[in-house]
Amino acid sequence: MSMMKKAMLLGVNLMLILALVACGGGGSNTSNEPKESTTNEKNEGNTAAAPVQLQYWTDDRHDQEYIKEMVAKFNETNGDNIQVELTVMSENYTQSVDIAFSSNQAPDILRLKSANTEAFFKKGYLQPIDGYLTDDMKTKFSSVIIDEVNRFDGQIYSLPNTGLTLRLVYNKDLFDKAGIANPPATLQEMVDAAKKITEVGKSEGIYGFALNFKNPKQAFDRSVREILSLSGYQGLGFDLKTGQFDFAPYAQVIEYFKQMHEDGSILPGAESLDIDPLRAQFAAGKIGMYLSFSTEPGVYQDQFPTEINWAGALAPTLDGQKGTSEIVSAGTWLGMSKTSQHQDAAWKFMQFMYADDVLTTYHEKGFGISVVPSIAETAKTPDVKGMEGFLIGEKDSLWPVAPNVTPEGANYADTFFKYMLDGGDVQKTVEDLNQRYNDALAKSVEKGEVKVTPNPSFDPANPQGE
Amino acid sequence: MEKLKRLQENSLFLLPSVILTLVLGIYPLIWMLRYMFYDYVGYGEALFVGLDNFSRLFRDEQFWASVGNTFVFAGGKLLLTIPLSLLLAVLLNGKLRGRNLLRGIYFMPTVISTAVISVVFYNIFNSYNGMINQLLMKYHLIGQPIDWLGPKHAMLTVIIVAVWGAVGNYMLLFLAGLQSIPQDLYESAAIDGAHAGQRFWHITIPMLGPVMQMIIMLAIIASLKGYESIMVITEGGPIGKTEVMYLYLYKLLFPVSTGSPVTQQFGYGSAVGFATAIIVGAITAGYYFLSKRMNKVF
Repeated sequence: MSMMKKAMLLGVNLMLILALVACGGGGSNTSNEPKESTTNEKNEGNTAAAPVQLQYWTDDRHDQEYIKEMVAKFNETNGDNIQVELTVMSENYTQSVDIAFSSNQAPDILRLKSANTEAFFKKGYLQPIDGYLTDDMKTKFSSVIIDEVNRFDGQIYSLPNTGLTLRLVYNKDLFDKAGIANPPATLQEMVDAAKKITEVGKSEGIYGFALNFKNPKQAFDRSVREILSLSGYQGLGFDLKTGQFDFAPYAQVIEYFKQMHEDGSILPGAESLDIDPLRAQFAAGKIGMYLSFSTEPGVYQDQFPTEINWAGALAPTLDGQKGTSEIVSAGTWLGMSKTSQHQDAAWKFMQFMYADDVLTTYHEKGFGISVVPSIAETAKTPDVKGMEGFLIGEKDSLWPVAPNVTPEGANYADTFFKYMLDGGDVQKTVEDLNQRYNDALAKSVEKGEVKVTPNPSFDPANPQGE
Repeated sequence: MEKLKRLQENSLFLLPSVILTLVLGIYPLIWMLRYMFYDYVGYGEALFVGLDNFSRLFRDEQFWASVGNTFVFAGGKLLLTIPLSLLLAVLLNGKLRGRNLLRGIYFMPTVISTAVISVVFYNIFNSYNGMINQLLMKYHLIGQPIDWLGPKHAMLTVIIVAVWGAVGNYMLLFLAGLQSIPQDLYESAAIDGAHAGQRFWHITIPMLGPVMQMIIMLAIIASLKGYESIMVITEGGPIGKTEVMYLYLYKLLFPVSTGSPVTQQFGYGSAVGFATAIIVGAITAGYYFLSKRMNKVF
């Protein structure tokens, strides 16, 4: 009995400790002061001391072999006794980072993406790196530093490496078969091409157009966004000139998508299509064209190897190329944790990763398209089939950022997708979206979450104003 | 003295579950009850907004549409699952050859991951190369592929998947209930000349009453709360046709990343969570009240 009691007490104590640990994690990482160097760092260079251990977290999987190689090289060659440990995460990267910061187990170096940087900055996870930047680095990256992307409140948190371009991806064989010589330059041509391809191929299950409409926002943010920026409008419905949302140009693009739906030119079942099943169908030669990121060449090389003859081309426009194609997901790569005990060491690793040879090889191996001008100019074209259509050219540029607001009710993509399938009053749809998005914008501005500066002289042909 | 010792011991036994309930049940509940009065996105300051989240809830068409969809989904699932699983249980309770193997097979969906099942069903039902359409077309039952996951049929499809996943589970519960019915009741009924149908209606059903009451209640709660397979198969689409309320809630709290930044809405999400809990609670309580008779059959 007494043995049992002891065991029970031990068990209860363990439970209590567990509960206390679980409750007591958060709250201690709120200091805004950068961490001082620790004894370990003062001992840097002294090989007899224990090595400085750094944690580097990323959710990039496509480049992990190369990154592992670079980390190993850094660990071997750095003279400061720094050892970096790479952790490649899969899904739920953001949640993992949140948990790590709230339980004081945050990594020293983090992969930052345009989708998470702003939130990480606002949550206070990131350390500005201005103090570390050398003059050379400042010059190298000067033209690709963008407010609200890698610079917040005047301080730089990350430097860019690569970005994604958006293109029309089309099956040349199907275009030939339908007697169409070139990829469409206007949306009307796209509608006509989709119809023709479907007419010729429908009996074999071939359709002119498809998008991953299972998540309409993912579908439109890789298609309408590109069509709009190339046509001279910001791609997410924001008017940079007035500093307000205006979905009228968006609706114009949607009319053409609606037409393709009514013509029956869109792959049946596209309403529930994810991007990978779509790619599988494209690789099988069942889809004439779709729009997507510069990740596609890599996908058709490794994930869905295909025999079809395909290429990437600039997207069609509303009425001619009055703007530039927006390079997306650019501007950030590595960031430093505010809570890191070894920030100087972390910077040494970042400096190693941002060196010309590492960035150049990254581009040449086709892991991403370099947006750093000095690298993009000198690096060789990646040896990946189809990549030539996605490379950054004179029609590509970085755009100012549209404010991220969350309106009440359905987002623009769900709203327009409903209009595309069900019809309705487009004028009212646009007014309703403008109203809800601008209300949400006003609220965010009032709360200080978002800053908006209208730029009446904004030129879509030269979005950075240089 | 002895009593006190017993009390101490009992409390010690209770402690682990009390602590777990406090940490994992009560604390999040209080957290949610607090934040439903705030505008909070997971970082920065939480702004007290009073009842704003609730007034938004009342004019939120998407939410009310999802409540409607939940009723259709849950109703459809229950109407098919309960009779089917009862039928299977009765059949497999009889002297059937290989019944243990069959029980195992029917129960299998319960132990397979919902996500895996859903991906398989996506491949069976998708309209461009799904197996169902290929079969139906091969035997000339349809001329054109049916868009099983399109706006017209998506709800039916997710109900079919849900029923497939649930039947084995409830079959097992019914089997347990059936095995608790004394055999002599059937024997004496048989001596009195009652045929199989009469025995089912006049013995099996009434004797199963209390068990059935519980099973149906569990099934109601599960079908009102179920959203996992829908999330994988249609993500609530197309155009919200299969968006059930817990999926809507999930998306508010854990928005699907689209490449562009997404914002978690903890404040409004908490209000929606509260409302959904009230709806599920009210329906369950209503059912429990109305089904009291089932408990008193014998």
